[in-house]
Amino acid sequence: MASNEHADDVTTYAAIVRAQLADLPAMERDALLEDLEQHLAEVAAEGEGSLVDRLGPPEAYAVELRAAYGAGHQTTQTTHTNGADLAESVRAAAARFTDSDWARQIVGFLPELRPAWWVLRAYLAVLILVAAFSRGYGLGPIPNPTTKRGLAEILAMGVAIWISVRVARRNRPLPRSARVVAASVNALIALAGTAILANMAMFPSPQMIGTASPEQPPFAAAFAAGPTTNIYVYSQDGKPLTNVLLYDQDGQPITVEKSEAQTSYPIGADGKAITNAYPLSQRHQNGDPVVAPRVAFPPWPTPSPTASPPPNPTPNPSPSR
Amino acid sequence: MSQAEVDTTQLLKGVLDLAVLAVLAAADSYGYDVVRRLRENGLDHVGDASVYGTLRRLYQAGALNSYVVPSDEGPHRKYYGLNNRGRKALDQSAQTWASLSKALNHLLNGRSNGHGK
Repeated sequence: MASNEHADDVTTYAAIVRAQLADLPAMERDALLEDLEQHLAEVAAEGEGSLVDRLGPPEAYAVELRAAYGAGHQTTQTTHTNGADLAESVRAAAARFTDSDWARQIVGFLPELRPAWWVLRAYLAVLILVAAFSRGYGLGPIPNPTTKRGLAEILAMGVAIWISVRVARRNRPLPRSARVVAASVNALIALAGTAILANMAMFPSPQMIGTASPEQPPFAAAFAAGPTTNIYVYSQDGKPLTNVLLYDQDGQPITVEKSEAQTSYPIGADGKAITNAYPLSQRHQNGDPVVAPRVAFPPWPTPSPTASPPPNPTPNPSPSR
Repeated sequence: MSQAEVDTTQLLKGVLDLAVLAVLAAADSYGYDVVRRLRENGLDHVGDASVYGTLRRLYQAGALNSYVVPSDEGPHRKYYGLNNRGRKALDQSAQTWASLSKALNHLLNGRSNGHGK
């Protein structure tokens, strides 16, 4: 047989086989038929007779090929809706995935992770309860053992882990309905626990509420018309005091908002500016000293020699030092 | 196709992978040569399409490597050979086959003995 005839024979035969397998997913079809022509050419080169004589009709060849490759189980005679084709290819893809070595390794390894989940779900369950009953106040990923609540949480977690492991290791299989409930509870714990852990940074913590942040927030007086930029201090009898050091409840120096006025802080013996000695010595931008405001002293309940304090205290704009 | 041939085809389906792997373990080979060697070894009914499909599947599964050998007369040939994974698969399948055939032989012998008594 001349090689030209061979080539024509191969091309025709292969075209019919390809047409028969047109319903396969493109990737699968390409992988299977990649060198069909080459293979048929090999066959044709090593024998007498046409390919149909030697291999049978191309339609039957396609059916055999499909079966040998394990792609789908349908024969060429059956007709399919697109939905069935899709389902078939999804199933084939899933089968390829579950047949792969690494998928099998992962699936084989999963059961070994079960005890870890038993412990984790107990921890998460306690975390969810604590979050529910404390509204998340001061919630941390690890309970603080120095507080009563933290100790209780740790104890509860121990008990919960014990229960969780016991429940998991009992031998009797659950009835079907109970299995559904158990799976739902597990999923719920995983979801809620993950949500709480992920949002933990947003819960208020005692540190955030109670203590001053390293950056001392400006001291703002209640009902002040604007930011407080200086503090004037008087004794009970209305005498202006100078260089009064103010601290907050944590011992942090109280500082005021920076104003447009120039403030000259007294410099301590250690060379550091003392920023909380009031009143501050300030100058406006045009160089004039900032003058103390007029103040009205409250009348004290007990009679005293200075029942009516002087309405116009002496300003002391420049504490000496 | 006779009933015997249908039976052989059905039985062969399950062990064709093993047979192809065994042929390639002996020597690298191309598609039609694999068919011929299988037939020479007594698997008369093995289909060309089955062997080609099996080769492609084993190749896609990563059990085979392949290379093209140019040929002076006729087309280039695509040779297949076992890689490590293929050799491992062959070892495992061979073990499975050995225990399976042992069990089946035992069953069949028991049947013929039973008839004999």
